[in-house]
Amino acid sequence: MGGYGDVKLLRDDGSRLDGRQVDEMREVEIEAGILPAADGSAWVKHGLNVAVCAIYGPMEAHPRKIQRQDRAVIDVRYNMAPFSTSDRIRPGFNRRSREISKVTAEALESVVLVERYPRSKIRVEIEILAAEAGTRCVGITAAAVALADAGIPMRDLIVGVASGKIEDTVVLDLDKAEDNYGQADLPMGILPTTGEIAFLQMDGDLSVDEYNTCVEYNMKAAKEIHAIMVDALRRRYQSSNGGGK
Amino acid sequence: MVELVPNLLKQELEKLAENDKRIDGRSRWESREITLETNCLYNAEGSAKVVWGETVIYAGVKFEVRTPWPDRPTQGSLMCGAELRPVAGRKYEPGPPSPESIELGRVVDRGIRESGCIDMDSLCIIPGEKVLGIMIDIHVLSDKGNIFDACALGAIAALRTAIVPAERFDIGEDYPLSVSMTPTMCSFTRVGGRYVLDANEKEELGGEERIHITLGDQGHLHSLQKGLKGTFTPAEFDEILQVAQNRCKELADLVNAQEE
Repeated sequence: MGGYGDVKLLRDDGSRLDGRQVDEMREVEIEAGILPAADGSAWVKHGLNVAVCAIYGPMEAHPRKIQRQDRAVIDVRYNMAPFSTSDRIRPGFNRRSREISKVTAEALESVVLVERYPRSKIRVEIEILAAEAGTRCVGITAAAVALADAGIPMRDLIVGVASGKIEDTVVLDLDKAEDNYGQADLPMGILPTTGEIAFLQMDGDLSVDEYNTCVEYNMKAAKEIHAIMVDALRRRYQSSNGGGK
Repeated sequence: MVELVPNLLKQELEKLAENDKRIDGRSRWESREITLETNCLYNAEGSAKVVWGETVIYAGVKFEVRTPWPDRPTQGSLMCGAELRPVAGRKYEPGPPSPESIELGRVVDRGIRESGCIDMDSLCIIPGEKVLGIMIDIHVLSDKGNIFDACALGAIAALRTAIVPAERFDIGEDYPLSVSMTPTMCSFTRVGGRYVLDANEKEELGGEERIHITLGDQGHLHSLQKGLKGTFTPAEFDEILQVAQNRCKELADLVNAQEE
């Protein structure tokens, strides 16, 4: 988390700088099946974030040493486009994207029925095209919709959501300024049907009570985003439009 | 990943060509449908999304303040790069930039640079000390054939709608980048022995060499490239150049219509 103090993030009436209430998330739009070259794909706009995910597979796992005899391996690549942030980022992997890719893969392995596809590999390509705080969560949401679009069996969808703390107040879904100047950030990957948690990270400073409020907000948001994900998948299979957004 | 070229596909393409037909029913000089959207990404200073048939690409423009090259103290710079990341298709794998992606970026770069549509001297802030660098990054998300034309279209559309973030660099107020021309690219692939416009992924797989032509506003040539194994005759080139003249005008109109 960035610095504390000086920057004011809450207005006198308790609302946030962008006008949201503390337990209000940014607007979410989702389209499924937008990349014709992929076996499954999704486009997610969450606030000003834009993420695209493509799924390839299940396919033979190469190189052979990554194969598992009893299940599929999930190969996630989370990547930020050079033009996705205010300062251009150099193309290629860095430590941050490697870590996010790893924990995202582990979260997805907990929902995908990997034992159905021994010795195979499922490629999950997450591309962040515009970043405005919370991209790892947007990436997880996109990956879940894309996996479903690819027809890969899962126990549940998985929804990426985050809550955090600004000016000693717990808020849902931090935006850029709140992320930079806030006191804590708690991203989660939630299985909306069962309420289980498959992805968890946190940094900053939270009391136990504050943590509990964050979880409550995240659960509420997960249900809302879940409805949008399901709607996107329904629309996808109502029209056979291959191109779209 | 090595792609296998099915003999059956080659034979089918040859047969279709004999009857002057194409695998998806188009005529020889017919392009797929194109949707162009600009200003679609928040953090890019200029951006474009191109859906070209089933091929999908994004292009984004970023600026930086840098020191000029010693031999050109008043000139800014332009760089265009393309990334063929694994998201773009089954055949793409992670790793350092492939020769294909380098060729793609450089061919698009040359078309824009050599058209002279950016006045490099206008990018000077303090001679010898500070100039603006323009970076166009192209992200291929779905390769279903003819990514070259889609990338070139996205790049010029993103550039033409770019806003220089002068406030962020403390050099005055934000202003639109001045771009004096709309160079566009037209690519031809030899399929079943003859050239066709805008090959799709099957035609590329079963086809042979390709030719990329970038034309500017007056129909002048700004960049040419022949890729892959094969030869062509001057008469064949004359024929496709004629087609390119008309097609590039249409593409430029499509870009210019975005600005109103």
